[in-house]
Parts: sequence; C-alpha cells; structure tokens
Amino acid sequence: MDILYLLIPLSVALVFCILGGLWWAIHRGQFEDIEAEGERILRND
Amino acid sequence: MTQVNVWPAAPDHVLDAAALGSAGAAQVADSLKLLDEPDEWAAFSLPDKDASGCWRSSVVFEGMHCAACAITLEDALRSVPGVYSVQISGASHRGQIVWSPEQTRPSEWMRSVERHGYKALPANDAHAHQRRRDEARRMVWRLSVAAMCMMQVMMYATPAYLSEPGDISDESMHLLRWASWVLSLPVMFFSCTPFLGQAWRDLRERQISMDLPVALGMVVTFVVSTLGTFEPEGPFGAEVYFDSLTMFVFFLLTGRWLELRLRDRTAGALEAVLNRLPDSVRKRQPDGSWVRLSIRRLAVGDVIEVLPGEAFAGDGTVVSGQTQVDEALLTGESLPLKREAGDRVIAGSHNLSGTVQVHIEQVGAATRYAQIVALMESASLSKPAMALLVDRWAKPFLVAVLLASLASAIYWWPSDPAHAVMVAVAVLIVTCPCALSLATPAAMLATAGALARSGVLVRRLSALQNLAAIDTVIFDKTGTLTRDAFEVVHIHTRKGLAPEQALVWASGLARHSLHPVSRALWSEARRRAERSFSLPELERWAAREISEQAGQGVQGQLDRPGSEALNLRLGSARFCGAPHFSGHHLQVSLADDVGWLATFELAEDVRPEAPSVVARLKALGLTLKMLSGDGAQAVAQVARQVGIDEARGGCSPQDKLEQLLAWQAQGHQVAMVGDGLNDGPVLAGADVSFALGQSVPLAQSKADFVLMAGQLDVLVSTVLRSRQTLRIVKQNLVWAAVYNAACVPLAVMGCLPAWAAGLGMALSSLLVVLNAVRLASPLPTQAHELQPRHPA
Repeated sequence: MDILYLLIPLSVALVFCILGGLWWAIHRGQFEDIEAEGERILRND
Repeated sequence: MTQVNVWPAAPDHVLDAAALGSAGAAQVADSLKLLDEPDEWAAFSLPDKDASGCWRSSVVFEGMHCAACAITLEDALRSVPGVYSVQISGASHRGQIVWSPEQTRPSEWMRSVERHGYKALPANDAHAHQRRRDEARRMVWRLSVAAMCMMQVMMYATPAYLSEPGDISDESMHLLRWASWVLSLPVMFFSCTPFLGQAWRDLRERQISMDLPVALGMVVTFVVSTLGTFEPEGPFGAEVYFDSLTMFVFFLLTGRWLELRLRDRTAGALEAVLNRLPDSVRKRQPDGSWVRLSIRRLAVGDVIEVLPGEAFAGDGTVVSGQTQVDEALLTGESLPLKREAGDRVIAGSHNLSGTVQVHIEQVGAATRYAQIVALMESASLSKPAMALLVDRWAKPFLVAVLLASLASAIYWWPSDPAHAVMVAVAVLIVTCPCALSLATPAAMLATAGALARSGVLVRRLSALQNLAAIDTVIFDKTGTLTRDAFEVVHIHTRKGLAPEQALVWASGLARHSLHPVSRALWSEARRRAERSFSLPELERWAAREISEQAGQGVQGQLDRPGSEALNLRLGSARFCGAPHFSGHHLQVSLADDVGWLATFELAEDVRPEAPSVVARLKALGLTLKMLSGDGAQAVAQVARQVGIDEARGGCSPQDKLEQLLAWQAQGHQVAMVGDGLNDGPVLAGADVSFALGQSVPLAQSKADFVLMAGQLDVLVSTVLRSRQTLRIVKQNLVWAAVYNAACVPLAVMGCLPAWAAGLGMALSSLLVVLNAVRLASPLPTQAHELQPRHPA
C-alpha cells in the first residue's frame, strides 16, 4: 500500500489545482451571465 | 445646501440659447457633449486596469429587449474608432465599454448607440453595482473552497467509517488525517473568516450573537482535531472531526450565499430607478438666456426649463407653463397629474405634455428621489436577516454550554485532570450549535427558493414566520384587486345613432387625452376595429383643435369625409347635457352642437383570478377586508364582485393606518396587500406585507413579499407554504433540542466516545438540512402564466 503515500498527497494537490481553476472562473465572471454564452451561437461573426 | 457657482465652465461645452434652438436632436447632442468633461465621465467610469490610458465606462441601455439587441449594440460600439472592447449583458441591460480619451469621447460612442435606435445612459450607480458584484464573487469563492475541501475530506474520512479496527495500519490512518488537516486549513482560515471575524467583533463590543458559539465550536473542533492529528498520544486522543467541521461550514456558507442572492435580486430589480435623472438641464442665466449644463452643477434657487419627455432634475415648484407629469415610479399614482404655476414637482418624475419652468428647491441627496435610492442602497448593507433571527438564542445557549463544560471539567478534575480536559472538549464539540443554527434558516431559505421560482420574492425571511400566524388580510382596491384600466360595459345612444359609430367619434377625441377614461375608450375602439379589420379607417378619425377643460372633459373638431365637420364634446354629464342614467358605473358622455349623443358606462376591470383567490383565502380561515381611497360606491361594487364582506372606501393613507392599528390592537395578525406609495405606511405597519410586481419601487422596498408576476393566485400557496415552513422549523428545533439534551449529559458523564460525538454532530446537521429541503418542492399552483418578458 505504499502507493498511498504518493496518491493521497497527489489528491490533495489535485484539489488545490481545481480550486485554482475555480478561482479563475469566478473572478473572470464566468458564473454571472450564464445565458449569454448560449446565445453567442446566434451571432454572425 | 450651499450655492454652487462654477459658472462659466469651459467655453466649448457651453452653448447659448440661440445656438441651441428647441429642436430635439440638437438638445440631445448637446446634453451628451456635457459628458465629455473628465470629471463628468469619472462618475460612471474607472481607469481600465489592463489597457493603460483607457477608461472603462459602465452604461445602462434603454430599448434593449433580447440577446440580439446586445449583438447589434456591440457591433455599433465596436465600429467607433477609439473603442477597444465592449461587453454587454442581455440579462441586465448593462454594458462595459473600454475606450481611449485620446481618440474618442463618451458623446461619440453614445451617439453611435442612438443612431441604432437605443439609448445609452451613464450608470451612476456603477460603483455600488461593482461593490455588490465583488461581494457576490467573494461569497461564491468562499463557498467553492468550502465545497471542494469538504468533498475531499469526506473521501478521506470514509475509510475510517467503513473499516473495522485494525483494518487500516496506523501509518495509513495518519496519512489520511494529515491530508484532511491540509484541506481543512483553507476552510478554517479562509471560508470561516466571516464567522470568526464577526465573533471577534462581538467579543470586542461585548455583545453576543450566534456567531460566537458557532466560532467557538469551529475553533475548538479544529484545535482538538489538529492535536489529534499530530499528537495522537496527547490528552485529546487521536480522534479528528475534520469531516464534521468542513460540512458544517459548507452548510452555513450555503445559507449565507442564498441569502445574499436573494438580496441582490431585490436590488437588481430596482436598479432601473437609479438612473432616472437627466444628465443635463437647461438653466436660466441672470440675463434671461438659457444654457445647458450638467445636472451636478444644478443648485438650489436655479430656474430650469423642462421639455415634454424629460425627467425633472430636482424637487421644485413650477414657475410658468402647465403640463401633466407622470409620478408613477415614485408615488404609484398611475394617472398623469396636472401641474401648473405654483404646483410642486418631484425629481425623477416625467414631464409628459408641456414645457414648464421650474424653480429648484431641493437637489441631490435632499430630494425624495435620492431618499428612495438611499433606502435601496442600505438594503444591500444590512446584516442578513437570518443571522439576526438566531441571535436571540445565542446568549442562553452560550451560557448553558460554557456552564456544562465547566461543570464537567470541575467534576472530573480531582480524579483525572487529562480526562477532565477531554470531557470538557467533548461537551463543546457535541454542542457545537450546528443543528440549532441551521434549523430556522435552512427551512426559510428552502421556502424562499421555492417561492422565488413561482414568482414570489421574499424580501424579509422572518416574515415567513409572521405570515403563518396571520388571521386577517387587507386588500387595497386599485391595482391590487382590479387592474388599473377601465373597460366599457355599456353604451347608451341617442335614437338613430349606432353604438359603434358613437364609440368611433368619441375615440377621435379620446386618443388625444391622457385621462384613463379616454385611454379606455380609445383602446375599446381599437379592439373593436381590429376585430372588424377596420383599424386604418379608425386611425383616420383624428380630431383637430383639441382643448381640455380640467375636471370636465375635452372638446374638438372631427372631420368627416363627405360631410361637414362635427364639433364634439366628451366628458361629464353636465359638460355634455346628458340625461341621467342610473347605475353604479362610471359614466362619460359625448355631445355635438345639437346636444347629447351617447353615454358610455365604464367599469373597473377586476382581476380575473381575484374572486377565486378570495374564496380560497376564506377557506383557509382568514378574515378578508378591503380599504381603499376611492369612492364608497365603487369600492362596494368591487367588493361584491370579488366576494369580500367588509369594505371601506374614501380612506386616506392615515385612515388606513389607523384602521390597521385598531385591528392589531384587538389582537389580530394582519397582512396587507397593496401596490402604491399611498399604501407605504400601511405596508410598513402591517405584520406582513405584499406588494405587486408592477408597483412602485418604494412600496416594493417596504414590502416583505413581492409578487413578481403581478398576479394574486400565488398568494394562497404562499400562505400555505409559510404554515408548512413553520411546522418544519419547529420539528428542526425540537430535533436540535432533543439531540443536545440527549448528548450533553452523556458527554458530561464522559460516556460519549469522541467518534460518536463527531458523527452525531454531522448527522444532526444533515437531518435538519434534509428536513428543510422538503420545502423546496415547487408550489402547487394552478397553471398561472408568467407575463411575457417584453411587450409584444
């Protein structure tokens, strides 16, 4: 079960990576105007 | 207010009256030009962070209906040289424009918007809007951190729950605990900071709120678990409670976040009002000429000219001219009001028909308009209601917990000091007020969410509690039980004249008047013409030389193809020499030079759902009453139609409030349903208040519930759901009390193993939340259609 010594710290690191992604998404306003992205397909350009 | 005299400003922004003319286009262009001064655009712009030397302006758009409008606008703005980026939200009608002062000016890109048929207004509340948005983002971020960490900590805790003792080696166990500890750090030191910070402020100010026992529980749990991780042989043993801790924090934050969203939705719904004032005004100079200047330079004592279609910039008195004004947004008065020399006008209301000169008496923060705005701003700063709700319980709870903990420590100290410390800590952990502090808000938020999906905005959560206890409902009449409009129910005519013909003639006059009776006649004529496909024909019947006699009616000349013109009068029976017709309906007559032609009977348009709502509310055991400012006869008529037994007409707002207080003094719990500012004091005085969605912002901001769809039928299910909410809150509180009553003595006696304390804590929170989630199911309404998002 030595692999746990690698996998568990790795899972902790993974959580921090995901949190980093979430930070980016929240502070770029990705969750604020959810409808606009769906409507973008209607645009000409 | 001191006299502001910064006049004269930079000469190129000042245009004298001769150059201005009265043409609308020139006026608009000049008022836009005023925005080109740096201190003017700074009111709605910030220097852009990414592109140096550029400004980021916040703008509200008028005339936007859908996503396609946003695309048109973005294209229009991007085509202006010097505009670097444009972001427009179709949902909020707001946009951010990044532009360079070296190449363009706000007036240029705003004119480009106008060329495409829209209007761009500087968002004067941009900074407040930004603040609210940042606060919302911080909250979501805190919640996300708590959620992610909680999920992973649960993963690490699962093996410990599922395995038999000895299944997992000590090293692996230690590794899992270490990982849980690492992931609890951000929860403890970042997500928890609102609770810890509030508890610290409470300590310093020597007051107690529920945050204090909550923070105490969090800190103790975290410290004990940390010691358990790194010093398993220490006095606190090897048990860790990171899973309970993170889950509890997550639940609490979810509640706070939902509450914040609730508050923001209210603020957002009222945002349109914040940008009502014009950007510029035409001011009279001492020599009698007129200049256009920015509203921020307007001072008390100035005389300004207001054209039809413009909004008044300050509170003041009309000096000359006469007009009709629309104060609907501010006072809820849906009829245009007549204003002539000597009458008062208020900032933010609209000038409808004539040019007037106004002597300004209040500007800026002193206006009634600004007070409304301030009221709305304060709503976004106040402490969440649900936090206040549990504060009542905080003090006795905290005292009891500390006493129990201390007592057990003293009891065990003589025999075994280490055991005594552990028992005291176990008491603190097991009483961590999770279930108690979640019991009420979880239920109320679940209900508020369900109500919001059915178009009922809950503005004050604790009002749900009051609503469950009411026994009397008072309705306002106009705009609440009836629609604002009238409908034509009967037409009497002179012998030989067809009712249709009379209506067409009357509508020729009526279309020129803003009086609600005229509007009702005109819309009835249009409706009938549409049915017989003769609308273009009707459009040709336009009267000339219209004059309106206040309180009597209108008269004018109607051209008839093929025969001589008709001199028509439309108005009261006396004005037209009409015979008397008995009946309770409102009557309006039509006459020509010879005499009386026709009389139209108009009835108030009772909401179709009103009678069934009244019947169902009665079936719930509520007493229904009606108070109205209108005439007693009209009130009695509507009361009969909807089935309300007790109705009183001719009430002033003061009368209404006195009536309400009298009923409350008899021990009744009263709910008020109303729509206008005239109901403001009554709405504020009632135990629970409802405002309709189309009502005035001020009424909405005083009401506990806003019926967004403007329909009454959700009222019944709201009452039912509030009663159910109260039942569930009681169940939750009983459960929390039973849990604490059972566990505390066990912990005090030292019989509760530490793992059981942690598990109990987690399960009790979970049970409370799951019980509350039952309230989130959709309301059992009859199919009630939401109104279309924009008029067809």
